[in-house]
Amino acid sequence: MGKRRKVILPPELPPETPDEEFEISDEDVEFFSENRSFTNFLASFDKKKIDKHVTRVADKSEDEIERLYERRNRNNAPLDSRENDLQVDPVDALPIKTLDGKLQYRTTKNVRSEEGNVSTDLTGEEDGEKQGTNLIRLTKAERNKKLKKEKKEAKKLKEDEDIAPNSPKEKLRSEVLKEVEEEISAEESFGAKKIKLAEIGMALLEGPEANIRSLKELLDFCKDRDPQVVKLGLMSMLAVLKDIIPSYRIRELTDKELAMPVSEAVRKTRYYEYTLLRSYKSYLQKLIELQKEAIFKLVAVRCMCTLLEAAPHFNLSEKLLAGTVRNISSSDDVIRKLCCEAIKSLFKNEGKHGGEGTVRAVRLIAQLVKKHNCQLHPDSLEVFLSLRFDEDLGKHENKAEEKNKFTKNKKGKQEPMKHLPPSEKKKSKQELIAKTRGEVYADYKAVSFAPDSEKRQRMQSDTLSAVFETYFRILKHAVDASDPRFMSETSGFHAQPLLAPCLEGLGKFSHLIDLDFMADLMSCLKQLSGFSSGTHLQSKTFNVKNSDSNRSYNGLTVSERLQCCIVAFKIMKSNLDALNVDLQDFFMQLYNLLLEYRPYRDRGEVLAEALKTMLWDGRQHDMQRAAAFIKRLATFSLSFGSSEAMAALATLKQLLQKNTKCRSLLENDAGGGSISGLVVKYQPEATDPYLSGALASVLWELSLLSKHYNPSVSQMASNILSMTNLKPTQNIVNPSLIALNPIQAFWESTVQKELLKPMNAKVPPSLKRKRKREQDTEYYVLDPQKLRNIDSEVIGEEEVKLRFEEHFKVLRDISENERFKGELNRTLASISLYDEFKREKLEKERSVALKSGKKKAKVLVKHSSSS
Amino acid sequence: MAKKLGKKARKFARKGLQTVQKQKRKQRTFFKKKSAPRGRGLNGEAPDENEENLNHERNVSQLDQNVGGGHVFDKNIGNLLGEEDEVELEDDFSDSDGYLSEDTECPYISENENENISRDDTARGTFQEENTEIKMQIAKQKKELDKLLAKDKEFAKFLESRRSQLEQYDRMVSDDEEVEGDEEEEEEEEQEEQTRQPVTQTTLDVWCWLVTEDPNSPALRNLLNLYHNASLFGVITSRNEKSAQIVSHEVYSTVINFVLCEADGIFRALLGVAENSNAERILMKLKSSKEWLNVGPLVKSYFKSSIKLLNQVTDTMLLVFLLFRLMSSVVFLHAFSSLGRRLIKILVRFWSTGEDQLSTSAFLLMKEVASQLSSDYFNICMKAMYRTFVARCKFVDDSNLARIDFMKSSFLEITSLDVQQSYLVAVSSLQRLGDVVKHSSTTKKKEDLMKINNWQYINCLNLWVKFICLNYKENNLQQLFDKAVRVIFGVTSLFTGPRFLPLKLKCAQMLNDLSLTSGHFIPVSSLVFECLDLTGVVTGKMDGDEEPRLKLSTLLKVPGNLLKSRRFQEECVRSSVEVLCTHFSQWSFHVSLPELSTIPLILLKRCHEKATVESVRRLIKRFIDQAEQNRDFLQMKRDGVSFSPNDQTSIDNFLLLEKSNVKSSFTQFYASMLQNSQIRNMVK
Repeated sequence: MGKRRKVILPPELPPETPDEEFEISDEDVEFFSENRSFTNFLASFDKKKIDKHVTRVADKSEDEIERLYERRNRNNAPLDSRENDLQVDPVDALPIKTLDGKLQYRTTKNVRSEEGNVSTDLTGEEDGEKQGTNLIRLTKAERNKKLKKEKKEAKKLKEDEDIAPNSPKEKLRSEVLKEVEEEISAEESFGAKKIKLAEIGMALLEGPEANIRSLKELLDFCKDRDPQVVKLGLMSMLAVLKDIIPSYRIRELTDKELAMPVSEAVRKTRYYEYTLLRSYKSYLQKLIELQKEAIFKLVAVRCMCTLLEAAPHFNLSEKLLAGTVRNISSSDDVIRKLCCEAIKSLFKNEGKHGGEGTVRAVRLIAQLVKKHNCQLHPDSLEVFLSLRFDEDLGKHENKAEEKNKFTKNKKGKQEPMKHLPPSEKKKSKQELIAKTRGEVYADYKAVSFAPDSEKRQRMQSDTLSAVFETYFRILKHAVDASDPRFMSETSGFHAQPLLAPCLEGLGKFSHLIDLDFMADLMSCLKQLSGFSSGTHLQSKTFNVKNSDSNRSYNGLTVSERLQCCIVAFKIMKSNLDALNVDLQDFFMQLYNLLLEYRPYRDRGEVLAEALKTMLWDGRQHDMQRAAAFIKRLATFSLSFGSSEAMAALATLKQLLQKNTKCRSLLENDAGGGSISGLVVKYQPEATDPYLSGALASVLWELSLLSKHYNPSVSQMASNILSMTNLKPTQNIVNPSLIALNPIQAFWESTVQKELLKPMNAKVPPSLKRKRKREQDTEYYVLDPQKLRNIDSEVIGEEEVKLRFEEHFKVLRDISENERFKGELNRTLASISLYDEFKREKLEKERSVALKSGKKKAKVLVKHSSSS
Repeated sequence: MAKKLGKKARKFARKGLQTVQKQKRKQRTFFKKKSAPRGRGLNGEAPDENEENLNHERNVSQLDQNVGGGHVFDKNIGNLLGEEDEVELEDDFSDSDGYLSEDTECPYISENENENISRDDTARGTFQEENTEIKMQIAKQKKELDKLLAKDKEFAKFLESRRSQLEQYDRMVSDDEEVEGDEEEEEEEEQEEQTRQPVTQTTLDVWCWLVTEDPNSPALRNLLNLYHNASLFGVITSRNEKSAQIVSHEVYSTVINFVLCEADGIFRALLGVAENSNAERILMKLKSSKEWLNVGPLVKSYFKSSIKLLNQVTDTMLLVFLLFRLMSSVVFLHAFSSLGRRLIKILVRFWSTGEDQLSTSAFLLMKEVASQLSSDYFNICMKAMYRTFVARCKFVDDSNLARIDFMKSSFLEITSLDVQQSYLVAVSSLQRLGDVVKHSSTTKKKEDLMKINNWQYINCLNLWVKFICLNYKENNLQQLFDKAVRVIFGVTSLFTGPRFLPLKLKCAQMLNDLSLTSGHFIPVSSLVFECLDLTGVVTGKMDGDEEPRLKLSTLLKVPGNLLKSRRFQEECVRSSVEVLCTHFSQWSFHVSLPELSTIPLILLKRCHEKATVESVRRLIKRFIDQAEQNRDFLQMKRDGVSFSPNDQTSIDNFLLLEKSNVKSSFTQFYASMLQNSQIRNMVK
């Protein structure tokens, strides 16, 4: 370290902060009191050494030091520009990994506040650094940096030197120089801007009240020419705003208030708030504006989403929301995910904004769906699933009430929202509640600042109505699309991208659906699930011979139709008291859909869920129906893969357990005995479970299933078969066997799971050893006759002889041919060499002649001289 | 032609044909590359004459199939066997030159015989003409040269000084030789040739006579040396005229013929081993005995020369003959493991690329080697075969369907020789196949799917399925069975859509096979439902005559343009009906057949309604009728019984008699259907 040529300046000291500003948190104190050894190194500091480091440059003149510092700052700039990130504070070079996996270097301003804490504990950052006790990596990073810097400088210098002396090309050089300078200056200015950004940000975070003006400066960066700077500016602004936005909404002042004289403090605060709000506003405008430009889109959207998550309560959040929702169905996966996540977190953290954000977001999405005629990305509707309406569980909403022991309010909230028809009993209860509420209300109102429950109710019901509006719109759209008039447009492709999340949502919020809609909804579902006759919507238009061709006319996949059935059942289940609708139609659908199901094309888990909700969970079924399903499920499991079979068998077992009379199916009691229904003979192809006459059948399938290759299936089948021996009253066969519900059973034996099963590499002992020699004439796969014939096809000796002779001749001729060719080539080459020979000869002669000529000349000269 | 003539002749063609001559210079570097060191493993070194054929085949089938996934998978299955058995083949040619020391007392009858020296007997005339032409040219040029020489006396001197340069021309013609020829062989040549003198037919006759009279005669050594010389004939004589020991074709053929026919008997006689006795045991005894010390080198020389001959000879029939002669003396190979490996390598090459007869006889010899010699040989054989099979089954079309079939079944023959050892290979291979599926099902990437959707994968899977089917009954292969079923279902789960129907049908067939041999129930029908859903949407023209017959057996993925064609639908329906047929016929007398057939029948009926093509309708209708007949028969019989579904023994005994006796129409229908399918799948 000490070998560097230049004077090493002590690292920059953290800005001076008065001691009283440090807040040592309780946790810190606790930590250090518990772990005394951590502070040991403080005691062992060598004060002198530290002083030496800090004051080492003291012997230089004041100016010199200043210059050095200045240069360091300057040098830092171009260096940093290489990393396209925010400036890295040397003191805190360790990056942070964000949730989405990106490495982010902490910006200085984020760090400073923590740093204060640290430095109090360590009596100065650089001390620890120089001691090298705990910050080795840091020093290393710094060293690298410095090395880099030096290298770069040297390079630059060299460049300058190279350029200068060459005078002839000076003009060109100067141009190049100019360019380089420009580049450097751009780089430098970029660096400078970054530093500036960091400084402003830091200042803002340190004292928002004092430096609130700088927000404007920060905002100016967002209008920079350089897109990189703009991005940085946006990000810095985001970071600052995220921290300084207050937890309340800033209200515009009325004229009256403005007119009133106020104290200095109030004036200050007002000014602060006003500035903040204005900057925030223009920032948002900037974001919305930039969002339209391709290069900034991602950054802008990210900023908006982060802001929305951080401050959904603040002024202008509606703009923010609008911007986010606009991108919720973006074709860009990243942007869409960001927006969806932001909206979801908005829904989940209602406490932050008191529910207003939710209502607004839901409405916006509803509008969006309407605008796009239900053609959006499924993700955009999936966010609804994060909504929470259930007050009994929504603790975040009720915290205030709970504190005030106002728990009864919960119930009160629920009722108007659901619009339940007030039955007599409920009416009286409601009155009682109203009374109590009246009493406590005044009290509560006095102490609580939270939005009152009525307002909340209103918001919730608004949200709900918007959600259901959307859902119904989608359903309607799907129904319309399935109408034969539009069939030509929609058939052949999957035109309902939103249907799946819509159905899922309906299933989830089924208990909140208004009863008034129920009938319509059910008929919609019925139609969508493929039910073809009897409903008022389509009695005339369709004259479908059998339900088989259903899929082709309403364009929905089997999974979606199954989902419709599931939703219908869920709705019914949660409103069972109030409704008395026969679900027979849906059972019929399921009964027939079992035949439509195709493994891998349709989602098996949906089928399993349908089996679970409709058959497994249900109460006791009608005997006819139960028997029909039992029979069909058994048949079904004979034709499909093991996971489907398992789901079916699990359901079948449950049905058999609940419907004890159906156990007669397990026994071959000719003719079905006394309990046979209307139909005497089993009709496997019947579409109506009631008309199938399944009670007259016997579950022969199980005997084949017990031979199933998959051990779990065969075991299950044998288990079911063993139920025969139970008395009708006995319910539980074997407690361990009830454990699986259809969905679990399905997932237990999927292909993927099966593949995970390991294989034992050991050779089973019963394997055949090597066969005896005597046996080896027998063949297993190949036709022995044919092999034997090969023998006879072998040519005789004479033939062999002839062929070998032939072979020999070919070989000989070939070799001869080669030899001849070689000879020919040699001869030809010799001839061609003759030319060369002649040339050489000529040259030789000439040179000889020359030499002799010279000699002659020499001789002559000699002669003449001598003579 | 090129294939038949083989290495030697092709080389000639390369040089001799004028058009090729130009290219030759360009390509020289390429050919030189092939001179990589020997012994890279059994199939590492693909024989060059086949390589080109293969490349060609590959290109063709690539064009046909548009698959292109072969290479991706190559590595994967290529190392299915792992690296542990990549044994380097060591040549033991270096330790001895292949010649045996001779007794000088053997008579050389070298009286004048010009019986055969006259050249009127030249082979096929092709080279003869060219040779004479060249000869004339030489004469002409020589004259010219002589003129020049006469003109300038000093030129002769000059030429002398440039001799080395001229030699190069000589070499240019045959420098492939230098690259490819074995250096050791040349060395042998150098050392030996001084002492050798040409053998005449009479000498040979005398030698043969001597040997037949007394196997111990020293002439045997001479004969074997001559045999060795013969085996080298093509390689060395080409450039060196020194190997003049064999000058006439008669000597050549007689010596080879004689040695091949008699060697085995002579060796056995020398060792005192009876012709058909269990030679292995005796050999073990003899291994250290005195006789073996004498005979061993002879046998070695015999094998070495024969192997060289196998490399030299190109005529199929001759090769078959050679292989058959070698078969009887396979036992002796036991002592020379490296020769054995070399032989196996050649055999595998013949087996995988040779013509029908050749590959069959190569297989027979290999089987002999695998069964008679120690289990090491078995392992080498099996693994080499498997590796070659994997390398050769990347593409399937009409032309090589039979070959792949043959390779499969002959491989199975070999594996069933020792189930225990092959079981281990099967386990590891299936494990790897399973891993590929597992990986693909998690990533679902296109390139991963391509690793499965190719012939290499399917053929390998099929191979092991067949292995399981073959050996299931006698051995406990439950584990392999489970794994195979899981892997197959895994494969089917990865591909949806009508385009992959052929693949699915293949899987279904494999499952049927497995089910049939194991007696387990495997629900196959759902695999063909997709196929049945497809029917009815025919867009192509109805005049089917112009459409080429579609063979699903050579397809994995259907090209998009054929999807809605009539032919494809016909094939699809037929194949799926066949699959169902097998499935039903397996359980045709099981008590729950009516239920088993319920859903397929419903779908088939629907399909029948939708189908627009008459032939498809007819086909489906017939099947429905027969299946219903079967169902009704079963139902009728079932109504008469009193046992319940949980009475397994009664169910097993149900209709046991009928199963073997009844000649009902449906059983006959199933049988004829299956037979038809087999015929259709055979190569025409």
